[in-house]
Amino acid sequence: MAAEVRKVPQYCYQCVAGPDLLTVKVEDGVATEVEPNFAAANVHPGAGKCCVKAYGLIQKTYSPNRLASPMKRSNPNKGRNEDPGFVAISWDEAFEIIGAKMKEIRAKGLKNEEGYPRAAASFGGGGIPTYYMGTFPAFLSAWGPVDFSFGSGQGVSCTHSEHLYGELWHRAFTVCPDTPSCNYVLSFGANVEASGGVVGAWRHGVARERGMKRVQFEPHLSITGAASAEWVPIKPKTDAAFLFSLIHVLLHEMPREALDLHFLKQHTGSPYLIGPNGFYLRDPETRKPLLWDLTRRAAVAFDTPDSDPALEGSFTVDALEIGADGQEWRHRGLICETGFGKLITRIKAYTPDWAEKTCDIKSGTVRRIAAEYVAHAQVGATVEIDGETLPYRPVSIQFGRTVNNGWGAYECCWARTLLACLIGGLEVPGGTLGTTVRLNRPATTRQASVKINEDGFMYYPMNPTDKAHWKASPAVRNAHATMVPLSANSPWSTALGPTHFSWMFQKESPENWPRVTPPDIWFCYRTNPSISFWDTKEIVKRIAEFPFIVAFAYSYDETNHMADILLPECTDFESTQLIRIGGSKFIEQFWDHEGFALRQPAVKPQGDTRDFTEIATELAVRAGLLEKYNEAINRGAAGVSLNNGKYDFALDTKQRHAVDTIWDRACRAASAELSEGREDDGLAWYKEHGLRTRPISRLSWYLFPELKKQGIRFEMPFQERLYRVGLELGNRLHEQGIKWWDVQLEEYGGLPTVMDFPGIWEKETIKQAGAGALKDYPFWLITSRSMQYAWGSNVGIQLMDEVADNLRGHKGVVINSQKARELGIEAGDLLEIHSYVGTTQGPAVLSQGIRSDTLLMMGQFDHWATPYAKDMKAPSMNSLIPMSMALTDSTGSAADLVRAGIRRVRA
Amino acid sequence: MTRYIMTADLRRCIGCQTCTAACRQTNATPPGVQWRQVLDIESGEFPDVHRSFVPVGCQHCGDPPCLHVCPTTATYQRDDGLVEVDYDKCIGCGYCAVACPYQARHITHRVAFAYGGEPMASESARFDARRMSVATKCTFCMDRIDAARENGQTPGVDPEVTPACVNSCIAGVLSFGDREDPNSNVSQLLSATQHFRMHEELGTDPGFYYIWDKK
Repeated sequence: MAAEVRKVPQYCYQCVAGPDLLTVKVEDGVATEVEPNFAAANVHPGAGKCCVKAYGLIQKTYSPNRLASPMKRSNPNKGRNEDPGFVAISWDEAFEIIGAKMKEIRAKGLKNEEGYPRAAASFGGGGIPTYYMGTFPAFLSAWGPVDFSFGSGQGVSCTHSEHLYGELWHRAFTVCPDTPSCNYVLSFGANVEASGGVVGAWRHGVARERGMKRVQFEPHLSITGAASAEWVPIKPKTDAAFLFSLIHVLLHEMPREALDLHFLKQHTGSPYLIGPNGFYLRDPETRKPLLWDLTRRAAVAFDTPDSDPALEGSFTVDALEIGADGQEWRHRGLICETGFGKLITRIKAYTPDWAEKTCDIKSGTVRRIAAEYVAHAQVGATVEIDGETLPYRPVSIQFGRTVNNGWGAYECCWARTLLACLIGGLEVPGGTLGTTVRLNRPATTRQASVKINEDGFMYYPMNPTDKAHWKASPAVRNAHATMVPLSANSPWSTALGPTHFSWMFQKESPENWPRVTPPDIWFCYRTNPSISFWDTKEIVKRIAEFPFIVAFAYSYDETNHMADILLPECTDFESTQLIRIGGSKFIEQFWDHEGFALRQPAVKPQGDTRDFTEIATELAVRAGLLEKYNEAINRGAAGVSLNNGKYDFALDTKQRHAVDTIWDRACRAASAELSEGREDDGLAWYKEHGLRTRPISRLSWYLFPELKKQGIRFEMPFQERLYRVGLELGNRLHEQGIKWWDVQLEEYGGLPTVMDFPGIWEKETIKQAGAGALKDYPFWLITSRSMQYAWGSNVGIQLMDEVADNLRGHKGVVINSQKARELGIEAGDLLEIHSYVGTTQGPAVLSQGIRSDTLLMMGQFDHWATPYAKDMKAPSMNSLIPMSMALTDSTGSAADLVRAGIRRVRA
Repeated sequence: MTRYIMTADLRRCIGCQTCTAACRQTNATPPGVQWRQVLDIESGEFPDVHRSFVPVGCQHCGDPPCLHVCPTTATYQRDDGLVEVDYDKCIGCGYCAVACPYQARHITHRVAFAYGGEPMASESARFDARRMSVATKCTFCMDRIDAARENGQTPGVDPEVTPACVNSCIAGVLSFGDREDPNSNVSQLLSATQHFRMHEELGTDPGFYYIWDKK
């Protein structure tokens, strides 16, 4: 029996669906066991449980593959086939080397000759690493301009279009059903049972038990498909077609009364009148958009009190139309129709019969699903939440990756948002909700970011496209503010641009585009683009061109293989950090509480590793930035402002502070924030209790009440703003002689159309591999979320490898059983899977739960440097996906999708 | 009388293997030895395919085949229904492993650790040499059940005395309690649902119930 046993509260934020709250059992100083934090069960929406990944943290702590001290590279040549020759050095030597480099860079100037920041930093997706890097954000803030645009998978491996359009239309960086009160969910590739974390699993488990029906549309039967009432094996990248067909049934085959006409009239842009040039018709004097008031039988401004807007019809008006770059048209006696009228016309062609040919789904299924959707919507029903009566619409539509990124994703997101509006189910109980904001500000709550614009919709911080303000010279290498107006201008915006441009343009700039040069110094942490990006072979070559790389490193990996200095930080159970919990956040995180939780040293650090906050402080000192660094912490760079006017726990900016001092101040500020200044419990209190929360109203889950209060309409269905922005962006680019974005510009329009989205991939395959290439690459290769691995940077953890093996497909390529028989392939045969970009190998996994034209690779495990993982000998589709302008949509995203062929290597 | 049983609500299970990992850690089993596991089972033909996730492990049978074949009386049954192994008596003959229709027993002859031949500190702290070359299996976290007898807590209700897999389950699949107590959580659950037991036709009286729908 152990002499001393403690259970130490911690959090795990290895994926965006967290944080999970847990305790780690420590026996005589050794961490032995992870458990849910039972003390959090009453406030945590997942009963205080923690996900499978958290159970790997003990092995992570004690793994012999950890780096035990700082290392420096002894081989100046970089590349996959170059041995870095890492040698152990002291922390002091490491800081000396980095400090000298930082001073050299700062002496030259923070931006290089091309105007790009000399310093760059890359972290894993979703902001996860922030909650393990202590006060390093304060260091970056103190440094000045830093280029965060070297992506590690963003764009292709995130739900990119949903982020951008979601924030535009309903402050929804991600979108999900109001699962606790929803009764019917159409899920297109959303693998929420694997990606939704503890809270997603818990909420959906409860919902299924009470009878919520979920219909899962996807080419293979995922974990979520398995747990759904129905699986519809849709052809890859035809989801938009199915959704448009659903809209067709609602608009052309059902009585209008089946829709929520009041919602459409009063809470959307449906009644706005549209001019012949594709812009709103406006009052010439006030310049406000017009609608047709059935009471007054006249066109009136959208915000005219007591108006009864017409949804359909033909109307004669005198009006002003304002186009791109200030172009104006004055109309007199113009016959026009509403945005809703335009929608009806636009959607007419998308019949269920058309969808059947496009999606490989029977037209009867389309009609049945549409009928079920409307029947479950309970149009007219209400519910009371905390004393406020709200519409109740218990139906929702959810998307996953490859559906909501890349070509076709915009159309899916638009259709989903419109389908919610048609039955009045957007941002109301039971319906389709946004979770959080990352592009709009302030980010404190979704509601706080809502303000009305001049047209009656939500203001959106679009990057400027007018001639005077468009940023012709990109401030960062992926040019997000230049090319993607929707990416906005928050600290997250860089990651929401075309992050592959940074890599692509370093190799070769497109026509009339400034030269893109590598950063002088690159910091990277909890990221491995050499494995996680597209066309990984190419990425490795680009990284090898970086002159000086500082990698915060847990073990060797394929990216820090090119590093100059490796700094091993204390890991999850060895270091201190505070994290905000509660409110509403990614995926399914909807709480009835908000507060803070602590991660703390439960065991002594292994080897000569250091707390990240200590490292950040030392870097600030060595760069001569201590004062600015402390100022950044005081402003809130450690997750909470230390001085907000009501309380003051600010650090003396001239002094160097110990790790515990910094986090004690943060804890005191957190206590004060939660108690309106009444309490100031510090680090010792949080170490004992782990978390502190306060209740919040469930009304905060829904945006509709705030919009109603401010008289704001959802910007549906017509997209005048996007159309104008697209035209202006095109004008700016053409003025620079740039034509290579013209195809992407076509995506900006008043109402979307469904193109042959699979055909975009097919045409590119033919273009790159020659006529007849589709015979060589007859399959669609897709991927699927793994709960055991997703986001976790835990590929070297034996326990995860072991338990993931209990699920089909982690280390192989899944192929339809019948198709495999036709090709003479048996289970376990070693297959080579190839695209026109590269090849990978893995064993065949036969399944009836996949279309015959589709292959699936769950894990992306072709590691060659990461200990343990490099011995898995498993395939990765990342080596097969092209980094391609043609496959990039207007938001700068592509998709985890490629045409592939297979060859049996051996039985 | 008490009969501790476990229930698994198959409507909720998503095969996440959190229970598997929690069990591995709590019971310090060596790599590959999973006393609790969730199977990933596919049935039907495209496109009418079903994929089911089924937690398995020792069923703590009322009439355990493993007990009948044990030549040394190492396998024994407690008065609360738990079927356990006395490692001091077990000779690792493997009869029980063959007899168990649930493939719930494991015998490890070689010391193994997560990363090769040397144990990590966490493995050293929990290594139990008595488990080498003997039959091991799910104990329903027997030490916790015993603790409940001491401190008056209720297994299946109080997490300190509830099996680790149940505590860890993130989808509310697993429950644990006393079948003989009509007011227990599991009795209430079973009375409100349709359920089955695995290989019940073999007469093993398994103590593991699979819920598949409401009544």
